[in-house]
Amino acid sequence: MNIVEFIPSCLLVVLLALLVRRRVYKALPYFFAYAAFAVGADIARFVTHSHRHLYYLTYWITEACYDFLGILVMYEVLHAVLGNLTRAWWARLIFPMVLVAGIGMSLARASAVPSRLSGPEFYIVIGEIAVRFVQVFVFAGLVTLVPVLGLRWRQYPFGVATGFGLYATIMLLTTTKFSDFGTRFKLLWGWTSLVAYSVAVLIWIWFFSVPQKLETPIAEISALSPGDLKQYKDALRRMR
Amino acid sequence: MVSLILTWLIIAWGALACIYMLRCGWSRFPKRDVDVDDVVPFLYPVDISLAESLLDPAAEFEFRWKLGRLEFREAQRKRMRLYLEVTRRMAHNSKVLVQFADAEKNNQDPRRVLLASALQQKAIEVRLYSLMTRIRLRFWLLFRSDILNSMPVLSRLRTAGDIDGLQTYTALKTAAAAAFVQLQPEELDSLTRSL
Repeated sequence: MNIVEFIPSCLLVVLLALLVRRRVYKALPYFFAYAAFAVGADIARFVTHSHRHLYYLTYWITEACYDFLGILVMYEVLHAVLGNLTRAWWARLIFPMVLVAGIGMSLARASAVPSRLSGPEFYIVIGEIAVRFVQVFVFAGLVTLVPVLGLRWRQYPFGVATGFGLYATIMLLTTTKFSDFGTRFKLLWGWTSLVAYSVAVLIWIWFFSVPQKLETPIAEISALSPGDLKQYKDALRRMR
Repeated sequence: MVSLILTWLIIAWGALACIYMLRCGWSRFPKRDVDVDDVVPFLYPVDISLAESLLDPAAEFEFRWKLGRLEFREAQRKRMRLYLEVTRRMAHNSKVLVQFADAEKNNQDPRRVLLASALQQKAIEVRLYSLMTRIRLRFWLLFRSDILNSMPVLSRLRTAGDIDGLQTYTALKTAAAAAFVQLQPEELDSLTRSL
């Protein structure tokens, strides 16, 4: 194993420590679970590295868990941003539609480019590509909303979406463009994946390095003072 | 082939989003925090009674009844242009208030943060409504009234994407009054007049 391959794992440990310090598990529990799982999965892969069969099993099980957690994190990000935007009934359909579009794109790609894999591994890879599409949809969609609706981009959910979005875009590009490179593809894919994932983790570290206030629930906030209340009532009266 | 084209389009969309975020990170936008002095002078007054009359189905029916086909067509286009201006002002005001609410969220007082959140939510709803309504109005002004030879019904624009435009704008004004409660009475008056 090359020492460079440990860079993302080291960065993930830094990220996890930062998430604990910022108490992100309260605001974004699925993302926190994802980061904790990523550290655990890296340790498990390292421990089983010299046992061929065990490593194979660990690799595919952790890949399947990454797919599942990736979807949950995207749901969490969309809910965190759109949940505050609109309470319209159609807002609830956005995530299922994105998910269906991602799965559809992955299946269409699988039928166009036949895979050498079969059995559970084949479905895990299909799921992985579907998750990449979902990540790009969510990221690009949210970024489009920044100038259109005037949203603040420097907030935790956008940071999570940016890290995943960048990684997913690069991985989709690599898979689509360079798959005709033959055996050289595997090496190129490995290095691109390593660099892109490290950059994604650095983006998360950068976003979470700045503390962000968690919104206080209404019940925990004291009532308006009589003076403020009177002024507020006067303002409303003048407005009508 | 279609899936490949779609994949490339999605990759391009993702790459553009990455470039945009990079630009945001590089320029550290927004460059300054918006305070109360950056709000009131930048607002455009919105005449809610005018908007109500433009969206009134009875008034529209009366126009249709009294005027000839060509005259009604011309009057309806004028009304559409007028409502386009109203929604443009709504969108502008909500953008100014979103920026103010963003800055206000850094305040130490949790009550002010909560009021800012409420203001921001309403402002974003207004912006969403304005965006959808303006797209429809522009489409109508560009194509429908000339090519399809039929006049759109303006009163259908009261709601867009399940958001009642005028009701939400009134709620935005109420949220703004709550968020600016620390202002002097005359400043608050000026704010409510400007909205």
